Amino acid sequence: MFNRILASFSLIAAMSVGVGSAAADWPEKPIKFVVPYSTGGGFDTYVRAIAPEMEKILGVQVVPENIPGAGGQKGSATVYRSKPDGYTIGIMNIPGLTVPPLLGKKVAYNLDDMTWIGNLAKSTYAIAVKADSPINSLEELCSLGRPAKFSDTGPTSTSSVTSQISMSLINCPITNVTGYKGSSGATVAVMRGEVDATLKPISSLRKYVKSGDMKFIVTFENKPSLKGVPSSRDLGHDEFEKLTLYRIVGAPPGLPSDITKKLSDALYQAATSATVQEWSKKSKKPLEPLDSAAATKVMAELSGFYTKYKSILAN
Amino acid sequence: MGVEAFFQASVDVFSSGSVMFVFLGVLLGLCFGIIPGLGGTTALALLIPITFTMDALDAMYLAGGVMGATSFGGSITAILLNTPGTAPNAATSFDGYPLAQQGKAGLAIGASATASAVGGLLGLITLMMFIPLAKEIVLLFGPVEFLLLTLLGLVAIAVSSRGKLLRGLIAGGFGLMLAFVGVDTMSGETRFTLDTDYLWDGVPLVPTLTGLFAISQMIELSLKGGAVASKIEDIGRISGMWDGVKSVFINWTVLFRGSIIGTVIGAIPGLGGTVASFIAYTSTVQASSDPSSFGKGNIIGVIAPESANNAKDGGSLVPTVAFGIPGSAETAVFLGILVLHGIDPGPTLLLENEREIYGLIIALTLSAVGASVIGLLTAKWLVKITFVNVNILVPLVVTISLTGVYVLQGKPGDVLMALIMGIVGYLMIRFDYPRLTLVIALVLGETAERSFHQSLLISDHNLVGLIMDRPQAIILVLATLLTLLLPALRKRGKKTA
Repeated sequence: MFNRILASFSLIAAMSVGVGSAAADWPEKPIKFVVPYSTGGGFDTYVRAIAPEMEKILGVQVVPENIPGAGGQKGSATVYRSKPDGYTIGIMNIPGLTVPPLLGKKVAYNLDDMTWIGNLAKSTYAIAVKADSPINSLEELCSLGRPAKFSDTGPTSTSSVTSQISMSLINCPITNVTGYKGSSGATVAVMRGEVDATLKPISSLRKYVKSGDMKFIVTFENKPSLKGVPSSRDLGHDEFEKLTLYRIVGAPPGLPSDITKKLSDALYQAATSATVQEWSKKSKKPLEPLDSAAATKVMAELSGFYTKYKSILAN
Repeated sequence: MGVEAFFQASVDVFSSGSVMFVFLGVLLGLCFGIIPGLGGTTALALLIPITFTMDALDAMYLAGGVMGATSFGGSITAILLNTPGTAPNAATSFDGYPLAQQGKAGLAIGASATASAVGGLLGLITLMMFIPLAKEIVLLFGPVEFLLLTLLGLVAIAVSSRGKLLRGLIAGGFGLMLAFVGVDTMSGETRFTLDTDYLWDGVPLVPTLTGLFAISQMIELSLKGGAVASKIEDIGRISGMWDGVKSVFINWTVLFRGSIIGTVIGAIPGLGGTVASFIAYTSTVQASSDPSSFGKGNIIGVIAPESANNAKDGGSLVPTVAFGIPGSAETAVFLGILVLHGIDPGPTLLLENEREIYGLIIALTLSAVGASVIGLLTAKWLVKITFVNVNILVPLVVTISLTGVYVLQGKPGDVLMALIMGIVGYLMIRFDYPRLTLVIALVLGETAERSFHQSLLISDHNLVGLIMDRPQAIILVLATLLTLLLPALRKRGKKTA
């Protein structure tokens, strides 16, 4: 009799735990890691490298799922609308997703109330010109007596937005020729000589500089990381260094804080694990892991930062 | 480098037993090629996650096997069912299907297999020769050359629809209209998207092609009833396969022209195999002394597009390897496999990943030959498809191809798009409008618009000056004029003779 009462008590206790805190048992089933771009792109590669490590830490499958479309907006909206149960997370392109709503575009997500799990990587931008170009500095690029021609992919791409904001900050007139395929296509346009310069992440320009086809004229950072190339801070343009591409990981709004913490820890540990670090080095994909708190802070700052330049972008 | 590395890679593939991956790729490629709606792009997209855990070299073998085999696989259905297995095979069905209807499917498959293998090999030889010059080649083609090339393609459309010029222009115009749907790459504005984000990325190519070619043909077949080939007594007696093989070597000029066109167009990003095989077909018709024999079962009409769409594989790797700019839809997905394995396409690729690149070339070589051999060996059974009653055939093909359309991106909208395009395609068959013309215009429209805007911006709105500055652009202008005037000149020549 006593045993039976005890048994039913423990059953009730077990049940109430199950109801009261869903997070205690989390995770119980596979986690969907949404990539809002096609397989094989930069965002996809990062997620596929990190997912197996997260699996080891969390003990459940972490399944990358590609939901491409509308410049990453579709997959991001899918994450935004999912149930905040920790079983759907996604990698996001910032400021790629920040800019469209600022321009008055109707979007199906709101970055301000998304839950931020952490950050995986950050790309520092640089401007490069053809190796044998007479242009050797940002100043020379801006005093050609005509608008400098830049090449880029789409008009709302992260790099396009960055070149428009940065160049208008220093009153440097530019013509942004868009429509090139990928950052390689835009770089090749400079090599063909049809445009003067391109603004792209250092990591994608480096190989063309190494092969002697291109040369850097400025990097968007606070202290120079490339020998002989001035940083934007060196040139007195302090705002430039805030213009970077983040590969940030988010979850639906209202994710319970204990689940957020578990996810954040798992992501951070995975990104700093030996396997992933080795992958990063071998495949030249730099990592810059941030935990949930740091990523949330970055997002809050960026939201205000880009809002300031709304009028520049509207042109 | 070069020959030495190539031989080392050949030894590697056999000694390591990795040749199994090539073989697996060939089988996969053939199956995905044969089934309408599926294709190399889908096969590679599905393989990407699987290759992640594989060694980079094995991934190259697998991908190379797939890429080398799909276009031949696709020609089988183009010939037997008038339903191109992959888009580049559309031109093959013009003469391949009439041959099948006449009970000469063996001849057509023999020719297709041989033209595919030889075309593929010629494309790869060109690739090997031009890899060191890849940079110079890519740098030759800027926006203005793209613009002129798309004009050349559009002119080829007009010229090719002999006697049906107006219908061709209407179909082409409709294709151009569809090309304008989606986000404008210059302004970032969305156009004609009917307020759904589904259309933001434009009218999707794979569902459109599946609808226009596969679904429409199935509607046509089911309304007609019976089977594709009427001569039941021909079962099991597919003679002419070896005649088909021989016909390729007899018509070696056609083979070489097709291969060269395929390689060159393959190397130009954004045009791809569909345009390559179409232009190979039309130029062959133009060069022929008896143009009226085409479309009724002329074997040359099979050789030209098949050699071109296999040669394009080699060509499209030139910009992919040299700059990471994909030359075709397949290589765009293949690029993903490279990136995933930490192989960074660009000017330093050949120095850093020589082993992988030569491994890929070996795989493509083995695949081009292997797929054709398998095709020739199994043709006897494959041909029986044409005798299957449509009541069995149609539901099977429709189900598989719609599943394929869904699998590529997992979008239900794609299935709907394929069905709509199926009805459009059926109406086009019914009222005798050329479907391939629509597709070519759809493919070229985006590039034409984009490169036109780019050319204006980079030349400060002085397009003529830009063209006059670039010899390669002037050559393209002349080629376009020649294509336009050649039929007229020929006619006059005949009259005076």
